[in-house]
Amino acid sequence: MSSYKTVLSKINLRDSFGAWWENATKRQRIIFRVALIGLFYALPFLDNPIIGTPETNFQSVLFYPLAVFVVMAVGLNIVVGKSGILDLGYVAFFAIGAYTHAVLGTFYGVNLWINIILGAAFAMVAGVILGLPALRLRGDYLAIITLGFGEIVRIVALNLEFTGGAAGIQGIPAPPNIFNVTFDVLDPKPHYWLMLTFTMLVVWMYMRLGKRRPGRAWEAIREDEDVAEFMGVETTKYKLWAFVLGGAIGGGAGAIYASQVASILPDYFTLNVSILVLACVVFGGMGNIWGVIAGAALLQYLPEKLRFLSETRILIFGLLMVVMMNIRPDGLFPRKKREKVYDKVTGQEISR
Amino acid sequence: MTKLLEVKNLTMEFGGVVALKEVNLHVSAGEIAALIGPNGAGKTTVFNVVTGYYQPTKGDVSLNSQSVLGLKPNKIARLGLARTFQNIRLFGDMTALENVMTGADARNKVGLIGSIFGTSTSRQDEKLSHSRAAELLTFMGISHRSGQLARNLPYGDQRRLEIARALALEPKVLLLDEPAAGFNPQEKVELGELIKKIRDAGFAVLLIEHDMSLVMKISDRVSVLDFGQKIAEGTPSEIQSNQKVIDAYLGVVDNAS
Amino acid sequence: MDFSILWSEFFGLTLDGIVVGAIYALVSLGYTLVYGVLRLINFAHSEIFMIGTFTSLGLSIVFGYTGLEEPLGIVLFFFVFLVMALASGIASGMSAVLLEFVAYRRLRRRGANRLSSLISAIGASFFLVELFRLTTESKDWDFPRMLSKDPVFSISTAYFTLDKIIILLGAFGLMFGLDRIINTTRLGRGIRAVSQDEKTAILMGVNVDRVISFTFLLGGVLAGFASTFYMLFYESTKFNVGFLLGISAFTAAVLGGIGNIRGALVGSFVLGLLQQYSSVVLGYNWRDVVTFVILVFVLLFKPTGLFGEAIQRARV
Repeated sequence: MSSYKTVLSKINLRDSFGAWWENATKRQRIIFRVALIGLFYALPFLDNPIIGTPETNFQSVLFYPLAVFVVMAVGLNIVVGKSGILDLGYVAFFAIGAYTHAVLGTFYGVNLWINIILGAAFAMVAGVILGLPALRLRGDYLAIITLGFGEIVRIVALNLEFTGGAAGIQGIPAPPNIFNVTFDVLDPKPHYWLMLTFTMLVVWMYMRLGKRRPGRAWEAIREDEDVAEFMGVETTKYKLWAFVLGGAIGGGAGAIYASQVASILPDYFTLNVSILVLACVVFGGMGNIWGVIAGAALLQYLPEKLRFLSETRILIFGLLMVVMMNIRPDGLFPRKKREKVYDKVTGQEISR
Repeated sequence: MTKLLEVKNLTMEFGGVVALKEVNLHVSAGEIAALIGPNGAGKTTVFNVVTGYYQPTKGDVSLNSQSVLGLKPNKIARLGLARTFQNIRLFGDMTALENVMTGADARNKVGLIGSIFGTSTSRQDEKLSHSRAAELLTFMGISHRSGQLARNLPYGDQRRLEIARALALEPKVLLLDEPAAGFNPQEKVELGELIKKIRDAGFAVLLIEHDMSLVMKISDRVSVLDFGQKIAEGTPSEIQSNQKVIDAYLGVVDNAS
Repeated sequence: MDFSILWSEFFGLTLDGIVVGAIYALVSLGYTLVYGVLRLINFAHSEIFMIGTFTSLGLSIVFGYTGLEEPLGIVLFFFVFLVMALASGIASGMSAVLLEFVAYRRLRRRGANRLSSLISAIGASFFLVELFRLTTESKDWDFPRMLSKDPVFSISTAYFTLDKIIILLGAFGLMFGLDRIINTTRLGRGIRAVSQDEKTAILMGVNVDRVISFTFLLGGVLAGFASTFYMLFYESTKFNVGFLLGISAFTAAVLGGIGNIRGALVGSFVLGLLQQYSSVVLGYNWRDVVTFVILVFVLLFKPTGLFGEAIQRARV
């Protein structure tokens, strides 16, 4: 037992990658980034028996659930992972974005590009309306309120004629052609690339924020909100920002989702979805964006790949959440940063 | 000497409990004032009210002659009041450098939007926070810990880190809550020297401390709190010989019952 | 908004509101007791209730009463009902103890933060819901009518049928029993001690682990009895029956002031009544929205509830 642990501790991918990354030249880093991005865009063409999904269209799976949940996990990570705000109603933002495009696009002819922005904007407004009063509360209560909010949004969508009631909305338009790419219900590839591009924008924005003052403020809030306040962090402002940004991401993703599936029902936006996204964040590594992305991808991919898992998906996710919290609460890829130890006298870095 | 921090007639009631009653305190620049008293006297409550965590029932707190009543703690912090905590409260999962940078950030202006777009001001701010944090870590003698997580630091370095983080706010007044707790005599001497260095740099320091020898050695002035009221104030030697203070610590035979 | 039915059916709605409130009360006590000792919202308590309903259902199948055409004789009914209630009480009670052991105990020992405990609770809740969804094929399961629902007497539009009377008497009896347990037994004192000050309770020799298990047991047993009452009244269950009922019971606890036993009772009756009244005024569809809105509003604007303790901030 002990020898297996020492071996494992030596194979620390995060640290070895981190070490390589730091020593890499700018050129090497750029090549790495380009290659990785290229790989993601090329995924739809890489369908083969090894990585492909047996019973469903691999390219369709790439869009939903993979890309959709990855971007939502990134959004929720800002709220839950980075800032420590437990949001159980994240699906509400997704729903708001989806219905924005569904209603404005189908009945008023507004195209998707505008609706992505509008969807995100409406989600942000909802985030402010909910967040301003709710974020004053402590963890459990905030969680319950967000859950209530998520359900309220769903039930309202279910009961209003404006949102199509229980029958939902059909015939949601795809976005107009762009760069000679046609968006077609039958071909999930362009939608996947669209969601992928959206995800990259989101990740880029997150990187700018995460390593700078907002990121530190969020983490401080998560670590000890009262002390963050004493250290001059405007906690109310930053908490609201985390919540609202997370919401905007969910809203934008929702709009893109609606345009791909072409018809939506209130049933698509249940508490289950919020919990699934939360499971991705928890499993992947709260606060660690790469962990969250990897975790979300894994958690959404595996049930598709291993079909027998798919039926019991939520069962396993529930169990996973209990197990993870008890055994490895930081997630599969913990956000623990790579620590550098310096020698006290010489100031040189000591390798561990 | 300008009184940087003034606490006037401070009364703090929690429900029926009177935690503080008409307390008057002040600290001036270049001065180390100590606040002592038996456990439960209300010393940390004073800190909590002064930093804006509680709103006093009566009385006023002013920083640099400006009342800070009703202001949120983060605003008071940015106006120049920083503190440490009795039980060390660092941001455990952040590195030592990040902990101090969080304090340093408070002095910068750029917020979210600027950070996203990477404006030159935001990049400058980032560099500024970084360098100031690094300087402070060196000042406190823990620069070799900068890359380590705060919760992995040894106890003594954690205390130093907390002070560094508070200093990063460039406060006019520094509140230290039992900074010597858990230190051995040698470390306490070093801490005393450090606090004096901070005072000589022009800060006003208000110190809660139980170690009497440390208090008497470095303080310029001592105030004594008992059951929420100030019972004495004076130089260390005056306080040591003050009968009321001695009674408060040792307890008096209760004739009333 | 139609108020005419509200006035014409007022007494009937009020009776139903109190009956439903009684069921909520038994379940909300579980939330409030656990919150009192652990400062944790036991998200999975709704599934503890659900397990009880299926236990009663299972017994009705075992006794061969599925598709029953004639109600049972009164004496037989009471016997069967008592067996079912006890069985559900035991099943739910033991499930609750098991739940605490598996999902919360380790986290509590480690002093883990709230977020982790809450996520563990949610995971457990979802696990149980899905488990039952898969095993019960997500359909409605009907409970046989073992008791005649002819009104025994009536006050205006309030029809006092035997099941409602049983529920009211049973619920009040249980609440009285709980009060005795909390106030006179050693473990009950332990619960009160831990709720007020865990550290001192430990110093006074209270076995906190045992107290907490007992708290879960109590809450579970009450929910188990409530589940049999529920089956008697509503005559149906489903894998997700816990969700809405749990939200209602939890809202009731919050409305009364979470952690406060008296509050949970009052809150439950108030909520029961509000639900009945609003469902005729606004329409049945909107009933659940009303519950959520009440929950959200109470938490936002009066989180202490009607009687409750303040939501504490960390002491600096």
